[in-house]
Amino acid sequence: MPKDNLNQDNIEISRRKMMGLVVGVINLGLIGAIVGPMVGFAAAPLGNKRKSRWVELMDESRIKPGEVKEVNYSLLVVDGYHEVEQKFTVFLRRSEEDVICIDPACTHLGCRVDYHADQHKFICPCHGGVFDDEGTNKSGPPPKPLERHPVKIEAGKIWISREV
Amino acid sequence: MSQKTYKPKDAPTLSPEVKVDEPREAVSSEERLQIERPSLRDWMDLRLGWYGFVRKNLDEPMPAGVGWWQTLGNLLMTLLVFQFITGFALAMYYSPSPDSAHASVKHLTYEVGLGSFIRGLHSWGSTVIVIAVVLHMLRVFFWGSYKKPRELTWVVGVIIFQVILGFSFTGYLLPWDQKAYWATVVGTRIAATIPVVGHALLVFIRGGEEVGALTLTRFYSFHVMLLPASLILFTFLHLYLVRRHHIAGPVTPAKGAPVPFYPNQLFKDAIVLLFGVGLLIYLAVALPPGLEAIADPTGTDFSPRPEWYFLGLYELLKVMPSGWEVVATVIIPTGITIGMFALPWLDRSKSRHPAKRQWIIMSGFAAILLIGLMTLKGILETPPEHKKSEATLAGSSDIPKAEATQLESLGE
Repeated sequence: MPKDNLNQDNIEISRRKMMGLVVGVINLGLIGAIVGPMVGFAAAPLGNKRKSRWVELMDESRIKPGEVKEVNYSLLVVDGYHEVEQKFTVFLRRSEEDVICIDPACTHLGCRVDYHADQHKFICPCHGGVFDDEGTNKSGPPPKPLERHPVKIEAGKIWISREV
Repeated sequence: MSQKTYKPKDAPTLSPEVKVDEPREAVSSEERLQIERPSLRDWMDLRLGWYGFVRKNLDEPMPAGVGWWQTLGNLLMTLLVFQFITGFALAMYYSPSPDSAHASVKHLTYEVGLGSFIRGLHSWGSTVIVIAVVLHMLRVFFWGSYKKPRELTWVVGVIIFQVILGFSFTGYLLPWDQKAYWATVVGTRIAATIPVVGHALLVFIRGGEEVGALTLTRFYSFHVMLLPASLILFTFLHLYLVRRHHIAGPVTPAKGAPVPFYPNQLFKDAIVLLFGVGLLIYLAVALPPGLEAIADPTGTDFSPRPEWYFLGLYELLKVMPSGWEVVATVIIPTGITIGMFALPWLDRSKSRHPAKRQWIIMSGFAAILLIGLMTLKGILETPPEHKKSEATLAGSSDIPKAEATQLESLGE
């Protein structure tokens, strides 16, 4: 108990405590008033949902069965405060039956894998992850196969869908 | 009140015979107030108390045996001030937007007078600071200076270390070249390996699913606002604690009486600053900072590598078997960080002597050895610049390289 309160009555002490409490509550309110909106503002991008979009890539005839082809394309995407033409790369692999579309982002930490045609493998330059030509992880650190994008063939054109 | 009576057990004190330049309080404040036409110095001092403050710090007693190893803190602080000033200058020319970041860095480096030098000081500064901070921490570690009552000085120091790493991670992205972009893609992906909250954390750090415009503004904001403010706050706290508890002195007390900080220790500090800052200026001039091609999310001719002091972590990721990457990305770094914070409480021995706290010293050596070997492995395995283009050449007969179907932008 503070010394200067010793000779005062209990009402005075509780009044002092009460005022201290109110100051504390106001201060907590002030902190909340700035920290709450601040966190919401900074975390706003968490609420953005991506939509999938179909993109026409190329003529079906330009890829032969057994072939793996690197395809670059660009899309107009919203990147924060501006719309940009963003470039993307995918690998198309055609087997006898169908065409699959493999995303080049390594499933380990997102470096871009290269296709080594002589070995029929995708190899990640960062940590040495190896995937077969269907994107299945074969060795190194990657925990799962390369991501695939849905493919459809309409009127001789190959389309893929991707989330942006 | 407690400030005046507080004195750590091992606090050094100057013996009355030690000669300092002038009497510390020749004329008391009350007496000086009575002087009718005080000198400017007295006038200012009465209002600021500045000379007393400076005097007190210059007379700070240094225990015998304190010397070159105790200059690192001063070096570190000076280098941080340099970063602050060069950073302020760079921000005058820099524009944190994917449209203009790369061009603005190119402009300030190659077209603005002294641009290459200022940017060189800033980018080499980050490297020299990492070396200085590690040496500073190793000194405190081996001297056991973090022991009672200096635990919180150490804890605040570890916070400053984390803030410095934050600076280097966020600053690395700002030039928006290939190296910057890909190091950030990989570096931020590390957050995604954390179970459950990983993905949300990734989106929060990047400001979206991909590294883009919002990642750049976010990193810039941290780099120039939050981190400098925290650094200043924690640096002052650290200095306050260093002065409050005084310098710990050698592990086994050396013979001899404590001497004032000025001039002996300050002279040593100045010599170290001369060499430290000299090295920095030499690096900035001899090895001017480069700038790679603008960030390209589709670029194939680029092998992402982090800054050298994150190479240890990068290599650790390589040796982790599939499915265990969370050990390298989260568990080991978090473990080391918690260990650093908790060091004063993990080390229970009363003695500061390394021989009396063997397991702590051994664990320290093990951690240093692990980080050192991994970093060395990373440096040795850095692919020569053209290793990748060979691989591309080998496959080039089979892959029609980037037979790009550059499509026009498609609306929905």
